[in-house]
Amino acid sequence: MKKYIFLLILCRLASPVLATEAKLESIRVDTGAAAVQRGADTLMSACNSCHSLKYIRYRDLAAFGMDRNKIDGWRGVQSMDAALAGQMSDDAAIQTFGIIPPDLSLMTKAREGGANYVYSYLIGYYNTPEGITRNHVFPETKMPDVMGMSAATGQDQRTEIQVKARELVSFLAWAADPHKEERHKLGYYVIGYLLVLTTLLFFVKNQIWSRLK
Amino acid sequence: MKNRVIKWIDQRFPLTSFVKNELTGYPTPRNLNYWWNFGFLAGFVLVLQVATGIFLAMHYKADITQSFDSIQHIMRDVNYGWLLRFMHSTGASAFFLVIYIHMARTLYYGSYRAPRELMWWTGQTLLLLLMATAFMGYLLPWGQMSFWGATVITNLFRATPFIGDQVVIWLRGDYTVSDATLTRFFALHYLFPFLIIGAVVVHLVALHTVKSSNPSGINLADKENIPFHPYFTIKDFFGLGIFLIVYCVFVFFLPDSLIEPANNIPANPMQTPNHIVPEWYFLPFYAILRSVPNMVGGVVAMFLSVMMFSFMPYLDRSRIPGGALYRPIFRLQYYLFIIDMLVLGYIGYIPPTSLTILIGQIATFCYFGSFFVVTIISRAEERWLIKRGLPPGVEALMASEAREQIVLPHRRRSGDGL
Repeated sequence: MKKYIFLLILCRLASPVLATEAKLESIRVDTGAAAVQRGADTLMSACNSCHSLKYIRYRDLAAFGMDRNKIDGWRGVQSMDAALAGQMSDDAAIQTFGIIPPDLSLMTKAREGGANYVYSYLIGYYNTPEGITRNHVFPETKMPDVMGMSAATGQDQRTEIQVKARELVSFLAWAADPHKEERHKLGYYVIGYLLVLTTLLFFVKNQIWSRLK
Repeated sequence: MKNRVIKWIDQRFPLTSFVKNELTGYPTPRNLNYWWNFGFLAGFVLVLQVATGIFLAMHYKADITQSFDSIQHIMRDVNYGWLLRFMHSTGASAFFLVIYIHMARTLYYGSYRAPRELMWWTGQTLLLLLMATAFMGYLLPWGQMSFWGATVITNLFRATPFIGDQVVIWLRGDYTVSDATLTRFFALHYLFPFLIIGAVVVHLVALHTVKSSNPSGINLADKENIPFHPYFTIKDFFGLGIFLIVYCVFVFFLPDSLIEPANNIPANPMQTPNHIVPEWYFLPFYAILRSVPNMVGGVVAMFLSVMMFSFMPYLDRSRIPGGALYRPIFRLQYYLFIIDMLVLGYIGYIPPTSLTILIGQIATFCYFGSFFVVTIISRAEERWLIKRGLPPGVEALMASEAREQIVLPHRRRSGDGL
């Protein structure tokens, strides 16, 4: 037994050695419609020139309740059923960055840390003493500091960028899991029902078993 | 009218007698505790997986250019597709959890001993079928972890003597995991559940021949057996309620906690993920695979680690009934083994370092060691316990068994009813 406890302690000791990545900021994702819509604004102006969201169509934005005029402005001549394609061609992206920018539809689900990762990454840009812009969270990134965190001077500007990044993450979290709210709502009903049913079953069980002597 | 129809059927098919003997009136030991609920729960999850799986298959496309998209189509556009998919993905974990508890119960109470060896071995076959089904199903979303998991595991078949390379190509249908692999895995993922159902029928026929074991390990007299219905139907339904609450918490609130983030990235054969991990239910065996430095040795060790359980009826030589209940040393071994499994699971999850590899090797050694230690200790423990004195009921049973062994000399150890 002692040996096992010792091994367990060793295992616990082993894990911090592995955590080489930067510590992620922990945020509470604002799922409110207003935050998601402002996030969509930021995404269309800051991200969509390079990144696509191929599982989100303009119709989905309208169904979420976003301003129809805004959507028409974003989609131009494209149909409502068109997906949010990136505006840069793959060839151009490879010429500029060396890689094709990843699709953002599932971004908050596709990284260890989820929404916290994406947020920490967006605000993780800094300037080295040599004047090179780098990222704490993802040092190999090819993406420029679109949010402008590395160039931010005052605390006010930083806070403003953090708010924007937070809203952007709100939108991405919605895009990755558009049925989340519906799922949670249904979940409360289902679990509530099961709690009542299981309680009743417990009493029925006791009643039936009480016949045994 | 109803009676006439039933009479008509009964003359041609044993409907009434089957329902009476095997379902409603089936004699069941009254002292079964809640650990005996898990067989029923496993059957329930099997039905759940088949039901959700058939509906998922109506919307899924087994084609590497479309499979990832079709999952997103199910998640976003199909009515309640997200519910079907999360029920199925959570159901896989639930299935293994239930089966592992079912096995842990059998090990703890020594239910694998005579005359229930065939139940234990059909159960072992079911475990292998379940593992194969889960493994093939995991490729279908065609995410990064799907692709690389399938690549790593099919690659293990290179360890086959002489024809290793050909076996790998034969399994994949191509030189790499590709469209051919995906379509065949899909076909087999649809087939295997029906093989599982067949094996479950064999498992149940065996159960109804030898009847349920019980915590005391003593073959109970008729007065201690009660009809399955209503006593165990209601107990199973109450257990099912508890299970469904836990299951639904995961389905509705934590479904992504059971899906590796890298599997939300489409498969990319040109880019290996930083860290390839299997699903949680394979982690202890994966840790054993990684603990052996030699590849062939690792594959053999991993395969053996799953198969070791089937030797338990022969490795455990104690005639003391009730498994760990009356056997303090066996009980200690049991808990150490469970802890060892958890250590292995953790080692399988984290990226390997020289320290964790060492811990993994020690844990692997302990894993196999415990099976061998059982053979030695079980006999010594039995002698010690008999000398110290057993509870009177247990001694009476062992005496009656000893008499039986004279009648049936070929049955060397623990007779009926253990």
